[in-house]
Amino acid sequence: MSRIAIEDVKILDSSDLGRGNYRLILGPFGRSRSIMAGQFVHLQVPGGSVFFRRAFSVYDVNPEEKTLEILFKVFGRGTALLAKCRRGDTVNLMGPLGHGFDPPGKKESVILAAGGIGMPPLYFLAKQMIQKKHESDKIHFFYGGNCRADLIEVARIKKLGVKLHLSTDDGSFGFKGFVTSGIKEYLENNKGDYRLYACGPTGMLKAIDRVAQERTIPGQLSLEAPMPCGIGVCLGCVLPLTSGGYTRVCREGPVYNIGEVLL
Amino acid sequence: MPDLAVEIAGVKFNNPILTASGTCGYGEELAELFDLSQLGGIVTKSITVRPREGHPPPRTAETASGMLNAIGLANVGVDKFIEEKLKFLEKFDTRVIVNVAGAKVQEYVEISARLADCSRADMIELNFSCPNVEAGMAIAGDPIAAEKAVREVKRVFPRPVIAKLSPNVTDIVAIARACEGGGADALSLINTLVGMAVDIETFRPCLTNNTGGLSGPAVKPVALAMVYKVYKAVKVPLIGLGGISNYKDVVEFLLCGATAVQIGTALFIEPDAPIKIVKDLRNYLTKNKLGSARELVGQLRSY
Ligand SMILES: Cc1cc2nc3c(=O)[nH]c(=O)nc-3n(C[C@H](O)[C@H](O)[C@H](O)COP(=O)(O)OP(=O)(O)OC[C@H]3O[C@@H](n4cnc5c(N)ncnc54)[C@H](O)[C@@H]3O)c2cc1C
Ligand SMILES: Cc1cc2nc3c(=O)[nH]c(=O)nc-3n(C[C@H](O)[C@H](O)[C@H](O)COP(=O)(O)O)c2cc1C
Ligand code: FES
Repeated sequence: MSRIAIEDVKILDSSDLGRGNYRLILGPFGRSRSIMAGQFVHLQVPGGSVFFRRAFSVYDVNPEEKTLEILFKVFGRGTALLAKCRRGDTVNLMGPLGHGFDPPGKKESVILAAGGIGMPPLYFLAKQMIQKKHESDKIHFFYGGNCRADLIEVARIKKLGVKLHLSTDDGSFGFKGFVTSGIKEYLENNKGDYRLYACGPTGMLKAIDRVAQERTIPGQLSLEAPMPCGIGVCLGCVLPLTSGGYTRVCREGPVYNIGEVLL
Repeated sequence: MPDLAVEIAGVKFNNPILTASGTCGYGEELAELFDLSQLGGIVTKSITVRPREGHPPPRTAETASGMLNAIGLANVGVDKFIEEKLKFLEKFDTRVIVNVAGAKVQEYVEISARLADCSRADMIELNFSCPNVEAGMAIAGDPIAAEKAVREVKRVFPRPVIAKLSPNVTDIVAIARACEGGGADALSLINTLVGMAVDIETFRPCLTNNTGGLSGPAVKPVALAMVYKVYKAVKVPLIGLGGISNYKDVVEFLLCGATAVQIGTALFIEPDAPIKIVKDLRNYLTKNKLGSARELVGQLRSY
């Protein structure tokens, strides 16, 4: 049986989280149990007016209910149409796709750096780590947005019991400044060995890449590229590798070791 | 049960549904989704003499009912293709058509000669028409060059040779005739149409190659008309493609004269589309009391 399924699933719940952010619960999807944090699903936007599928990181799964959740922010046509979907609507889902994060060793101190709508795969990573008995106070979850309303699902992240460090660019909540500034300050004051995982806008990932490489902190980044096929056959989603040549983000990625891809 | 099998230049296909070059890689990824033996055949990504990295991203753009691509013929090169990719395809009961691209006639000949001893390469398809690489167009648009290329490849490759035609020409019939004259055993059409998309915020083209190849449902009417015209002008069998996404599209192409079809861009939306299409085509034939897919070929009742 194939690792990847292509199935019609129902929207079991759709929530408007404010400022263009939405959460969908999708199911039943038999493969939800096997999904690793960092993997994504490729959704066909209903209505037929958007040609390509759209990629979304898996935010959470419920293997008993055979469901999965995604979070998205309205960005263009596809996400605008998805936001209009209602409970009971059907969407075609392909997944799980790509390679997820390599989980850290149980005793490692970990920094999770989430920028805006890059948060979902890191929440899922933290949850899977905790399910595998990683000490929750060794997980430092840095989560930043432009303003307070950008920080969504904060209560749910808190419930994991991780050390949560919130920041906003405009200072309307938490630390004032970029996620990376918060992380740099934390590292100044708390020496030690860390492993770092990040997902967010390209500007943030570039900064994270620098922070990690300057301090030789190992870790991984979840990257993005427009994905026509999502399964590795079109060669459309490539990014340049530091070692030369291109990599297919949908297939070899979307998660890469820090320093592997030229950002 | 209707018979889906078709024959092209003496090569038997289990069914007329193939996957198009550049949209199914070398089969490895699709093989994770379904058994490739369910396909009539697979046309592998264009290979060149040396490996190519392709164009810098962005390489694709979404358009109305279709897409633009300027991948830039990224491929592993003929050596690695023969060592790894062709070997992988050995275990499937399907036809393998190896698509070949080059900058000069000599390169087509060189690759075809290398493939002569590879019995897994049931046929080769000459990509004269990739709009993203300058030199390819010279052959695609020039009947004399096309004829010469086919003739020289035929000298070194012992099995059937297909010429894949570009729609970006003034008279596709003239090119089709030239390829037939050069000894092509079959023709496939069409490749992508030159197209463009522009970002009005940055004033830049959406592709780093500036222009790209248009494919998907948007090009189907163009492809059908070309199959229709070429069918009337040549004797060799045709393989139709361009925007096919369901069995109805397939029937249209068969009626216009295609013996088989290829599914391209549709694979990006529904990677298992060919499997559904085979099933639906069988049902269509049953429903219409047709004994075989062959009975549809060229049966258009034109005005
Ligand atoms: C691995 C991965 C995980 C992601 N996870 C999330 C997530 O969890 N939450 C979230 O909100 N977003 C996520 N995204 C981004 C999400 O897919 C984009 O928001 C979405 O593609 C934008 O779509 P849109 O239709 O709203 O915008 P549009 O404006 O329609 O698309 C943006 C632009 O990109 C073009 N485009 C769209 N798709 C493609 C494509 N496949 N190939 C070429 N061009 C294309 C469009 O034509 C347009 O120019 C993820 C992306 C990737 C690659
Ligand atoms: C991403 C992409 C890559 C392609 N690469 C090749 C190629 O390497 N060689 C080739 O002959 N055609 C290539 N094509 C063209 C297709 O094989 C086909 O002729 C064209 O896309 C029209 O069919 P479709 O609308 O079903 O996709 C490519 C098409 C796409 C979309
Ligand atoms: S999206 Fe097609 S290869 Fe990655």
